[in-house]
Amino acid sequence: MPYLKMDSADLPKVARKLAASGARLVLPVREGDERFYREGADPDSLDLTTIPKNSIKEFLFPKTEKILRYQYRGKDVTVEDVPPAAAGRTVIFGARPCDAASLPVVEPLWNWDYKDEFFNARRGATVVVTYACRTAPDEACFCVSVGLGPSSDQGSDVLLFPLDETVVAVRFVTAAGRELESAFAEFGKGEVAEEALEAFRKTGEASLAHRKKFDRVQGWLEAHFEDRLWEEKAFRCVGCGTCTFLCPTCHCFDIQDESCFDVGYRLKNWDACQFSLFTLHTSGHNPRDTQPKRYRQRIYHKYAIYPQKFGKILCTGCGRCVAHCPVNLSLYDVVATAQERAERGD
Amino acid sequence: MSDRTAGIRAIAGKWLQDGTVEAVLGWEQGTYRDKTAPVLVRKAEEVDRLVFNERCTNNLMTYLKRDPVRSLNTVGIVAKGCDIKALIGLIQESQVPREKVKILAVTCPGVRNADGKRPVKCAACDVNTPVFYDEIVGEKIASNPDRAARFRDVEALEAMTPEERHRFWREQFDKCIRCYACRQACPLCICSRCIAEKNQPQWIETSAHPRGNFAWNLIRAYHLAGRCIECEACETACPADIPLMLLNRYMAKVVEQSFGYEAGKDPQTQPPLRTFKLDDDNSFIL
Repeated sequence: MPYLKMDSADLPKVARKLAASGARLVLPVREGDERFYREGADPDSLDLTTIPKNSIKEFLFPKTEKILRYQYRGKDVTVEDVPPAAAGRTVIFGARPCDAASLPVVEPLWNWDYKDEFFNARRGATVVVTYACRTAPDEACFCVSVGLGPSSDQGSDVLLFPLDETVVAVRFVTAAGRELESAFAEFGKGEVAEEALEAFRKTGEASLAHRKKFDRVQGWLEAHFEDRLWEEKAFRCVGCGTCTFLCPTCHCFDIQDESCFDVGYRLKNWDACQFSLFTLHTSGHNPRDTQPKRYRQRIYHKYAIYPQKFGKILCTGCGRCVAHCPVNLSLYDVVATAQERAERGD
Repeated sequence: MSDRTAGIRAIAGKWLQDGTVEAVLGWEQGTYRDKTAPVLVRKAEEVDRLVFNERCTNNLMTYLKRDPVRSLNTVGIVAKGCDIKALIGLIQESQVPREKVKILAVTCPGVRNADGKRPVKCAACDVNTPVFYDEIVGEKIASNPDRAARFRDVEALEAMTPEERHRFWREQFDKCIRCYACRQACPLCICSRCIAEKNQPQWIETSAHPRGNFAWNLIRAYHLAGRCIECEACETACPADIPLMLLNRYMAKVVEQSFGYEAGKDPQTQPPLRTFKLDDDNSFIL
């Protein structure tokens, strides 16, 4: 099927039309030297130059969310559900393929033994318009290592291919994506044959600095829980949790009750396995009592436990944990070391 | 290889060889862009991993509070003048015995952040040549501190109306995701259990809503009043790009005006909010 061709300069106009249709619009904008996905920003501030510092997860799984309300009346307490907040129909415009791909990765988790109505309500109302990477936006990118790529359509409803500085090819991937077709149609400037995208894909993949395939990592991890690697690599981890909070697939949360006089709410807040409190028992015992053990847990969850349970790596290779780690503890280096040791039978 | 890198390797090798220290904490070349990474060298034959360049931004004193460095009996630490200020704070507060740490000081012409810019602390630096150390490497550099640089942004904030200032901080704290990277990177956040982690009672709401975020960021600033040595580790680590140093420098300014004290200068003194003196200014008490 041929793809719609349009000028990249018209992308903000498409975004504006989508916002005018009443959708909650999320798009990457520039703040200081960084880009961030932000809700409700002016479509003209759309900035697709590089991968944003935050991921798109906060628009489906907010950093804090009320899940129930309680009220004391004398000796009685009434408890009522707080329905999933009405975020409404959401268009994430200009997501990177690694962010879009995080959605099908985490969906099984939110629908495992318990169906998380909060995530599902937002997921069902969200359409993702992805901006494929012509070349890797950062040297930390490693999407190819986890079986994705700069042109991956995983999790995308519409995929934009920036063929050069001025021209974009548009592919409507899903039925939800095709519903947006009318917003794009008037900016169409002809068609692009599907074959042209093959060259785009190859250039993109070839541009990645990190491309080692992580196909033997799970097996290696399963046999090396106790290994010198963890202390050696992770002594430098300061436990700041930046990696987990910027990660599109990390999804752990904490439950907190907060009340003011007689009324309170139960909240679901982002949490992180990198904190000592995360596993601290009431007795005072902490099974993950040092930072290297906590760092190891993060790698295991992503590359061994989650694949065992859901058949998918819990990582899309976005590279944020590599780029933004304040002590340059690179997940890519650690996992690539595991892969290399598996390859040489160490 | 620079003279400083060579000097660091020579002294670290000597210390490890003769058993002066069990390990040397320093920087090695990183794997992302021009970043450096903290490294713990335990054997003399590994000292070639150590480097010094203007991207050695991390304040390594933060490792003194956690294992494996905490449990060492003796450790050598490669340190710039600004990093040593943090160690002075830790010694003042009895967190680290002076004799545990051998300071391998390095003279520093200034570092650069990831964006290539010099941090404010370098413009205001008065310790390009460290004054508190066991060994020192590098050519001596005379400091020419622009002391006003420290408070330039604070003064712009003070010029705002209270409403404008509140709006400014409301917008900044809205970005906070409560990852506590600021606390973890800080060499002087020393509590083994932070007040943000105390939940009986819950002093500070952990939710990333405006009330919780104001409470957290202000408590953190208060706990560092008169203690923060302005190394900027918190602001560098913050994944949400909140200008945390504005808070820290404001507190530093107030402490300087009220008590004539600047943190990280003299291990023989005590931070003013840790001590009581009969002649302290009590005029603010009604």
